[in-house]
Amino acid sequence: MTYKELVDSTLVMILAGGRGERLYPLTRDRAKPSVPFGGIYRIIDFTLSNCLNSGLRRIYLLTQYRSISLVRHLAQGWQSLFRGELDEFVQPVAPQERFGQMWYRGTADAVYQNIYTLQEHRPERVLILSGDHVYKMNYLQMLRFHAEKDAEITIACIAYPLDEASRFGVMEVDENWRVVGFDEKPKEPKPMPQRSDMALCSMGIYVFNTDILIKSVVEDSKRAETTHDFGRDVIPAQVGRRRLLAYDFAQQARPEQPAYWRDIGTIDAYYAANMELLQFQPQFNLYDASWPIRTLQLNLPPAKILAASPTQPAQVQNSLVSAGCVVTGAKVVHSILSPSVRVEPGAVVEDSIIFNDVVVGRNAYIKRAIIDKRVVVPDGYRISADDEATRRQFYVSPEGVVVIPRAMHLA
Amino acid sequence: MAAPTILVVEDDANQRELYRQELEDEGYSVVMASDGKQAVEIVNSQHIDLVVLDINMPVMDGIEALGRMLSRNNRLPVIIHTAYAHYKDNFMTWVAEHYVIKSSDLTELKEKIAEVLRSRGVL
Repeated sequence: MTYKELVDSTLVMILAGGRGERLYPLTRDRAKPSVPFGGIYRIIDFTLSNCLNSGLRRIYLLTQYRSISLVRHLAQGWQSLFRGELDEFVQPVAPQERFGQMWYRGTADAVYQNIYTLQEHRPERVLILSGDHVYKMNYLQMLRFHAEKDAEITIACIAYPLDEASRFGVMEVDENWRVVGFDEKPKEPKPMPQRSDMALCSMGIYVFNTDILIKSVVEDSKRAETTHDFGRDVIPAQVGRRRLLAYDFAQQARPEQPAYWRDIGTIDAYYAANMELLQFQPQFNLYDASWPIRTLQLNLPPAKILAASPTQPAQVQNSLVSAGCVVTGAKVVHSILSPSVRVEPGAVVEDSIIFNDVVVGRNAYIKRAIIDKRVVVPDGYRISADDEATRRQFYVSPEGVVVIPRAMHLA
Repeated sequence: MAAPTILVVEDDANQRELYRQELEDEGYSVVMASDGKQAVEIVNSQHIDLVVLDINMPVMDGIEALGRMLSRNNRLPVIIHTAYAHYKDNFMTWVAEHYVIKSSDLTELKEKIAEVLRSRGVL
């Protein structure tokens, strides 16, 4: 099959309806895929960039909860990159009540309710992605694998240490990578045959032949005991019945660039994945010109780092500083500043992630915190999990990351 | 156990009457609708165990009606009953339990009805 045939006969559906409850309060006003990441990006940008870089340009994004911010981001940042004349699109789809309720009851229900969209396009296969992950993946290689091995369903997987694997769907495969067992979030994950300390985890990325996809979600919709979830319900029901293969994501690793995939499930995972970007040679290299990550870039002036006076220079180290930021005579260390952040003289920002349009007042102190958009931190204010006052007032994650919700008024 | 109630949706009056007789002979209680819109109203207002649904009908066709019926209760079993095979190409029809091509002999339709009702524990 040629590249063009493969791409033309594939439709992408991105499941972007997750509430992201464990990312609260970052998901208080937005769906998980539109949570900011790495200064200028949103989580969905990684999946969409992977699609573009893989040549896939027919994309439905199934949305529901708090989708305004996500839909706006798509409209402003992404839709102009797709040409309708060439049958290219990235289209948000809210529940249409064709075969179901007001809301999608689960990921499989989201696809079930959109059978009519499949009807319109009649693709040979559907690539199902999640809008919740940060990773770099060439989907084309997985689609090739699926087609060449004559699979009916292919699940992308990654080896994870056993003690972390119970957060994921864990697969058992035979020597031909045929899936012979699938447990969603097992208490005791089964190790891989070759590696007793690792388990093969599902990345929530599936290729389905279209007929099998429809049969699977229709069957699931009629079952009494189901949560309508691909990982929990649909995939386990197909094991042993369909030609179900596992695609090893490690195939895409290169010596200088290990295969990178992160599930941003919790505040701590979110924080850690962001902080990894600050390493000298991060596993996820945003500066890789062969795999550009796109996003909505507003027209902003350059970042400016100023001394407040000859004796009060600004000090910025090991940080990502986005356009439109102004740091004046302040210290910013090991932190990420989103666009248009202002840090005033004498302030200290350490180990923190600061979202757009935040103002950090004079002599304020911020340590190990995520500060959501448009918060104004008053002069002299302290935010740190070490402080009793902070712990009393704000959400602090198990690993001591403080989160200040969007536009919160701090007195 | 009370007789299972079957809704037959069919625009042709002669066929409708034929199905009624044959299904009542099988011991079912039969309700009729002559288009998709009526069918949706019936399903929303009374208990139906199974729907036999034609596709090509005036006012509202079977595919639209199928979606609307299932959006209220997506476990409602529907058997598509049509003279045409080509609607099988329409993914929407895959949502139904079975797809039976119309024939003067109703054996297959009756078999499928019994099979579905048994699987739902109604029979």
